[in-house]
Amino acid sequence: MYVYLYDEILKQKKFDGTVKAMETRLTDYGIAGKIIRLQQFTNAQAVIEDEMRKGATTIVIVGNDRTFGHVLSRAASCKVLFGFLPVGADNTIADVLGISLGVEGCDALSRRRKVQLDVGWVNNRYFISQLHIFPHTIRVQYDERFIVSSKRGKMELVVCNLQPFVWKGKGKQEYVIHPQDGKLEAFLRPLERRGLFGEVYEEPSVFPFEEMTVTSSSPFVMEADGKETKETKVTIRLAKKRIEMIVGKERQF
Amino acid sequence: MFQKSSPLSPLSVEEQHVAGHDDVETVVGPSVHVEGDFASEGNILVKGTVSGNVQTTKRLTVEPSAKILANVRAGDAIISGQIKGNIRVANRLELTQSAQVLGDIMCQVFVVEAGALVHGKVSMKGMDMEEDKTEKTRLTKRPKVREENEPTEMQVNPI
Repeated sequence: MYVYLYDEILKQKKFDGTVKAMETRLTDYGIAGKIIRLQQFTNAQAVIEDEMRKGATTIVIVGNDRTFGHVLSRAASCKVLFGFLPVGADNTIADVLGISLGVEGCDALSRRRKVQLDVGWVNNRYFISQLHIFPHTIRVQYDERFIVSSKRGKMELVVCNLQPFVWKGKGKQEYVIHPQDGKLEAFLRPLERRGLFGEVYEEPSVFPFEEMTVTSSSPFVMEADGKETKETKVTIRLAKKRIEMIVGKERQF
Repeated sequence: MFQKSSPLSPLSVEEQHVAGHDDVETVVGPSVHVEGDFASEGNILVKGTVSGNVQTTKRLTVEPSAKILANVRAGDAIISGQIKGNIRVANRLELTQSAQVLGDIMCQVFVVEAGALVHGKVSMKGMDMEEDKTEKTRLTKRPKVREENEPTEMQVNPI
């Protein structure tokens, strides 16, 4: 049985046509199912566990990168097959997974090409797309082996899993992350100076890792899957092959 | 692991094609300082400072402004910066004109550009030539020194 988790943005009128076309396509394929509309404070894990008890075998997230992160950051521990139907703007993860936007995404879903994806684990919760620590004086220890610091003091840290890291320094350099390589990628950018037109960063340092500890003497702001928190110590780990996911043929890994 | 447009490297164009420079996996930025033993299974590009052993089975590239203050082990290496420690490279080691090495070098193929500075012993694998013969003959012609308890012909008693 399929269960579809709709993001609240799909209530907007501009998505009516796409949603109706998708529902028709899913019915044609014989994979239509129950629709649950997510609210801002919906606990996705509780909803999914409840649906699993009722016999759900496939949970399909319908929305954008934010929806994807919001659902899976809580529900990654659920042993169920996940699918994704990207709708609207902000859909970078769909490209990595090889799922087309809108109605065409239903084709990938019907083919049920399954892979197991690695996810990140940070302070007792999962993150799927990207973790971001804003410029701060931090000290980073990798795999309990070496410590990285910057001579300039403040550093920005981005840990990528599924969402590509875009460095807007000299031109747009886009990195494609392979979620199944058994490592997370950390991009460290020391803050060079604060200019008139924003902050100027040095070129990034890249370290693949399995476990990393970020510490600071004062609290720093961390954003994981769109959720901001303040921390003084963060341990980031890799949870290997945690999620079983339906992907498209043109996936980038 | 990830694909990236090729960063600056002293490799020749031909070599970039052979080695596939698109797969640099670990990058140490210019103002970044790494402390501790630093190992990677992929290519390493060092632009900053590393105080600790560096180890990789693939290619290590040390940029002109970079410093490594410990021993280095790599599959291949292109050194343009400073290294204070021993270097052990399985295949090809290339020192560019700005390279400075204070330590012993061990490799299979050694390429040194004019201007590179090395202070240490260089050993290379694959040497077919035998040891110095004059040294050998000198050793063989040296008179045998008898030990005190060793019996001589004179000392042997008839049965």
